[in-house]
This record gives sequence, structure tokens and C-alpha cells, in this order.
Amino acid sequence: MSELRVEGLAKRFGGLRVFQDISFTLPSGALLGVIGPNGAGKTTLINVISGRQPPSEGRITLDGKDVTGQPAHAISRLGVARSFQQTNTFKSVSVRENIARAVRFGQRGMPAGLEALLQEFGLSARLDEQSDKLPYGLQKMLGLVMAFATGPRVLLLDEPAAGLERAERQHVDRFVAHVRDAGASVLIVEHDMDLIRRLCPRILVLDAGVLLADGPPAEVLARPDVIAAYLGDTEEAA
Amino acid sequence: MTLIPKSRFLGGAEIAAVLVFVAAFAVPAITKSVLIYSILNQALVGVVAAQSVWIMLRMNLLSFASPAFMAIGGYTVAIAGQYEITDVFAMTAAAFLVPALVAIPLGALVLRLRGTYFVLVTFVLSQIMQLLLFETPGLTGGSNGISGIPPATIFGTELATNRQVVLFACGIALFATIITACLTRFFRQHFAAIEENEILAESLGLVVWRYKALGFVVAAGIAGLAGYSLVTMLLTAHPSSFDSGTAVDFIAYSIIGGRSSILGPIVGTALMVYATNLFGTHGQYAQGLYGVLILVVVLALRGGIVGTVSTLLRKARGA
Amino acid sequence: MEQFLQATIIGVSLGTQYALLALGFTLIFGILGVVNFSHGGFYMLGGYVAYACVAHAGLPYPLAVLVAILATGALGWVFELLLIERLVDDHLATLMLTLGLYLVMSTAMLEIFGPLSMDFRFPVTGALRAGPIYAPLENLVVLGVCLIAILGLWLILFRTDLGRALRALADDRSVAMAQGLRPKILFPAAFALATGLAGLTGALVTPILSLSPGVADPVLATSFLTVILGGLGSLGGAALAAFIVGIVEAYSSVYFGGSIGALVLFVLVLLLLVFRPQGLLGREIRGA
Repeated sequence: MSELRVEGLAKRFGGLRVFQDISFTLPSGALLGVIGPNGAGKTTLINVISGRQPPSEGRITLDGKDVTGQPAHAISRLGVARSFQQTNTFKSVSVRENIARAVRFGQRGMPAGLEALLQEFGLSARLDEQSDKLPYGLQKMLGLVMAFATGPRVLLLDEPAAGLERAERQHVDRFVAHVRDAGASVLIVEHDMDLIRRLCPRILVLDAGVLLADGPPAEVLARPDVIAAYLGDTEEAA
Repeated sequence: MTLIPKSRFLGGAEIAAVLVFVAAFAVPAITKSVLIYSILNQALVGVVAAQSVWIMLRMNLLSFASPAFMAIGGYTVAIAGQYEITDVFAMTAAAFLVPALVAIPLGALVLRLRGTYFVLVTFVLSQIMQLLLFETPGLTGGSNGISGIPPATIFGTELATNRQVVLFACGIALFATIITACLTRFFRQHFAAIEENEILAESLGLVVWRYKALGFVVAAGIAGLAGYSLVTMLLTAHPSSFDSGTAVDFIAYSIIGGRSSILGPIVGTALMVYATNLFGTHGQYAQGLYGVLILVVVLALRGGIVGTVSTLLRKARGA
Repeated sequence: MEQFLQATIIGVSLGTQYALLALGFTLIFGILGVVNFSHGGFYMLGGYVAYACVAHAGLPYPLAVLVAILATGALGWVFELLLIERLVDDHLATLMLTLGLYLVMSTAMLEIFGPLSMDFRFPVTGALRAGPIYAPLENLVVLGVCLIAILGLWLILFRTDLGRALRALADDRSVAMAQGLRPKILFPAAFALATGLAGLTGALVTPILSLSPGVADPVLATSFLTVILGGLGSLGGAALAAFIVGIVEAYSSVYFGGSIGALVLFVLVLLLLVFRPQGLLGREIRGA
């Protein structure tokens, strides 16, 4: 069981309000997409839920337990893992060592399906290569696999497809499928509309820090206020 | 497929480091030169303090607190000496434990904050220690310090001659090196992860501040040992020995020697102490040399002397 | 009562001096993310340059101060452009660079001028007596000049395009750069502005207190203490903290003597870190 619930969440930096009044529930095993124009506060939302930054207001509960304001390592230990928008690995060590650290720090042992994932993305063949010598796409996938390697019940993915070639984006689909097979719920922040429409039965729309909509894509994307929010934004699915 | 690599507990560098100090014991048997004893003793004190700095550098943290913890260790021994307590084993334990205990609450306070705060606060700590030493004459002798400290005793025998003091310093340095090596070897992946990418490490579940605190506490104990060694060498505990400016020296030894290997502070201390002695009566210019070398290391030779040499060796072998 | 007024005047004067130092330090930290270990060194350099102008080049004191500002500013500019700029995202590396620079600077001053205090006097002597108030004129002049400098800094930061650009970089570098602000010009400018302020303070204060290679360390320690108290990265906090530190230092040295005051201040600031780690006006500082 791993229900993640967010209530009245807000984040301010000095005078700048990044988002406010964010409330939603991510049920156990569910898949939720989060979209919105640049600067809408999506990455900060992940930062706050994952404990990297404390919220200015609101509550975060995991399985009914209040985890608001807990630091990142505690949230991770409770089973919430996140990936990063930019490639984020331990650059100077090998792929093998990166995975080893993720498993070691996650303290839940190697999750089932980890080796299969490595095989699938072609990382098994490159275990001893230094991680920052890998091509961009593979580094991104390594980051995703590392998040999975901590054995989470909830995964927060920050633009997993960003920077990937068209052909590589299906890896993200495969990754999400693997993760869900393992029983985890997933929240994906993305700009790639195709991917969102393909994968997510439910999406949230964030615009200028405000939650505009929460529902199935077909419905949400047809709403005039959602469309208007995107008219000003130049970034769409490549 | 064995995904998780099993690694040896003992690394080559750590073994070499320990051997260096085992070998150092031989020096008093080889020579009677008072000058060599003096330089060696300075280096043996300096290398322990440099190791204290190096432990935190493994996690990308720069500590200026080594003089403060050295003072705690040194004055603890000096005060105990006034009560005729001089046994080397008891005093070694005290010189390590008292600063380490003081470091626990300090560490808990400072290490949850950004790395930048750590630097500033440790700097302020060494200023505080200086002031404390001056303002507590009842305990520490104030600006006069505590002089005439009785020599260390081992199994009842006094370590009073130059030779014996050098051997004592070798022993302290060996002990400190073993502790440093064990700590940094056992936790090397944790420290390395924190050094390279703290945010990622924390997001994977590593309780980063605890490792930083552990490092800080052990580093404080190691610095305390350096203080014991210094006070024994001088037979005096005086505030000027623990001036906050000396932190810069130990930082220089570590950075110039090379922060990636336990051999770094050893090589750095040996070379810098030797170089300082070459300046003779103009010893204060040594800091200018340190400054230039620090700039060179940071701009070009990131691995310091040991790092650069090992890179060259690797290239020579690979070529 | 006289003592109280006396201490207050000294305290406010100290406050303005510390404010100039702390503001400069905060500029460098806030905009470049660099902890400037050579800040005390630039204060010392400002003092020596002004001294050399007066004692060796025979320049009038105000001109010497101006030369000091230009010299420290120029050195800061060049240092940032040539050295810091290469490593500006590596906080530990830039700190080490400034440390290296400081060591070179202080050894150079030691070599050129020797270890003893210089005979460098403030050109204005005498004191203002008004009823119970006795204020040395030199303190008042320094107070006045520092206040003007602080005002000038405020004008630059809040009323010019340069200042707006600098503050934008401090707030969010990636956003500011996306909007076209060029760090290549702005970073050296920020550094030079800060070191120039430190040099100005040195040129003004060393003739009153003392000028020797050892003056840099306490200045650095006070700068650190002030920015910790005010909140690292906050200009308002730095200024406020500077006045608090100056006034506390003045009262404690007038009423208690010795260094008890400094000790109490240091310890209080450390305790503050327990309960309010962001200092008086700082922002979030948890974690990396």
C-alpha cells in the first residue's frame, strides 16, 4: 500500500510564489501525469514532495502517515524515489558502481527486475564504463534505473523523456511498465504530450503554480483554460 | 551476474600510508641529527592535523576547526599533566575523545546546513577557541598558557629525550593514520557519493548529515591527537600554537598533497614542512609558497601531487 | 551617560565599516556563489596602497583613498576574470582560489612593508565636543564616508541597470542568463565592486586602528560572523547584522573590556544557528 496524498501544498521563495493550493491523491499502483507550461512549478513540486525542499504550506501524507517537511533521505527511505530532469549520476564512477550505490543507500536490497531493466536498456553490456562517458540517453536511463534500484513504492519522474531521441522515448514507456509491474505507483512530469497521452490514464495540469485540472487526458486537454495556458508556451512534443 | 562488486577492505594507499609511519620509527635509529628530529617531529604533528582536514575534504567540506580541536586535545593533556597524569595510553584516549565529544553537538548543529556555512562556522569556531583560551586563565593559563608539562610516560618510563619524543610522535601519527584509514576506507563509497553528488546521494536514501557528522567527530579526535603531539613536542600549551592561522597550513598540506588519497596529506605535509624549513628564518614567507601552490593545484593539477603523479603513472603504463 | 553616547557613536561607526565589508562579501556570495577568503586581504591591501600613496608618493590622503579603491577594484576584476571565472560553479574550488590569493597577497605585503605596524595616521585629528558627547573627528569622517558609500551602493544596486542585472543574477542565475544577461561582464564587475568596497574600508580605517599584515584575519572573521548573523546571501541582513555587531562590540569593549564581548557575540551567533539557521533575514539553507 502506498497512497501518496498532497493537500493544500504551497511553495514560496522569498516573494516569489511557485505554486499554491495543490491537492491531489496518487493511489497505490496508479499512474499520474503532470503537465504544464515552462515555469509552472512542476520540478519544484517534485522537489517538495521528495523532501528536497520543505513546503511553505500544506501536508504530504504517505499511507496516511504525515511526512510533511521530512528531508529527502527520510522520504526516500519511506519508499518515494525520484528522478531528475537533467542527467544526474555519479559521473566519475562506473555504471556498476552507480547502481551499487543506489541499492546500498536505498537499503532495501536489489529489487526484482533490476537486472532485466539493465539488460533491456543495454546497460548490462556497459556496466564497467564510466557513467559520464555514456551517451546522453543512456545516462538518463541510468538515472531512472537508479531511482528504481532503491526499491520504491512511489516513483516521481521529472521529465524522463527530456533530451531523448525519438527512438529512445519508448524506453521510458518500457521503464514505466516495468515499474508498475513491480507494484509501484508513478507520477510523471512531462512535456512530451504523445508520451503523456500514451501512458497516463489521468493527468494534472499546472499553470503558473495553480492546479487547473485533474482528470483523463481526453477530457482535460479539451478544456479551454488548459488550451489557453498552452497557447503562450512554445514547447510542445517534439 | 554479480552486480554489486565486492571490494577489499584494505587499499594499496592505506597500506602504504601505515607503512610510512612504521618506517618512520627507524629514523631515530639511523641518525642523531637534532635538525632532522626537529623537522620530522614538525612533520609528524602536521600530518596528523592534515589528516583531520583531509577526512572532511573527502566529503567536499573544508574545515578550519583543526586548531580549535587541537587546542582541546593539547590543553586536556597539559591540564592532566598538572595532576601528574601522563600515561601515554590514557592521554591518547583523552586527547582523541575529549575533542570528539565536543564535536558531537557542534556537528549536529552545523552539518545539516549548507557546505558554505560549514566553512564559515568552523572558521568562527577557531576564533572562539582563541578567545576562550585567553579568557579562562584559571583553567588554561590565559595568555601565558601552561608550561613545564611533564613528559609522557609509557609503562612508567618517561619519554623525555629528543629521540623518545620523536618515537612518541611516530606512534601518535601511526595511530591517527590507522583510524583515518579505517574510517575513510570503510565508508569510502558513502564519502565519495557525498563528495561527488550530495543531492543525488540523499535522494537515494543516504542520510548524508550523519556521515558528515561522523567524519567531523573523528576528524576532531584526530586533530586532538595532533594537539597532544604538538604539546608534547613543545612541553608547553600556549594559545599561539593553536592560532586560527595554522588551519591554513594544514589545509594547504592536504590540498597540495592531494585530496583523493590518504597519501596526499602525508606527501603534502612532508614536502611543505621541508620547504618551510628551507626558508629558515624567513618562515613566514612559506605561506606565500602555499598560496601559489594552492592556486596551481586548484587551477591545473586538481589531484594535487599524489593525484598528478598517479595519473602520470597510469598514462605511462597505459601508453 | 557620556560613556553610553560615546559607545553608541563608536558602535554606529563600526557598524558602517562592517556593513561595507559585509555587503561586499554578500555581493560576491550572492551573485557568484563564491566565499571570498581574500576579503580581509583586500581590506589590508587598501590600507597599504593608501599608505604607500601618502608616505611614498606624497599624494593627499583623499586621493590616496581613491587610488586604493581603484587598485583593489582592479585586482578584484582581473582575479575574477582570469581565475575564478574558470571554476565559478565549483564552490570549494573558488574558495580555495580566494584562499590562495589571500596567502599570496599577505606574503607580498609582508615582503614589501615588513611585519611591523605602519606609521599611517588619519589626516583629520581632534574631536567634536557637544555637551556630553565626545566624538573623535576621524570616527565621524569615516562614519560619513561609509554612509555615503552604502548609499552609493544602494543606488547602484537598486536604481541602475547594472544593479538590476546583478540582483537578477543573484536571485536565479539560469533565468537571468536566459534573459540575456552576460555573466562575463557582470561577474567581474560584482567582484570588483566588492573588493573595491573592502579596499575603501581598509584605506579609511587602518590609519585609525592599525596597518600590518595581521589586520586581515580579524576583518575576515568579522565579515563571516556578520553574514552568518544576517543570513548568507541577504544584503539587508548583512547591513542589519553589521550594525548589531558593531554596536555590541562597542558597548562590550567600553563597559567590559577585553575580548569578552567578541566571545559572547560569537557564541550567541552560533546559538542563533540552532534556532534560526537562516539568520536574521536569510533564505532557506537546508541541505546541499
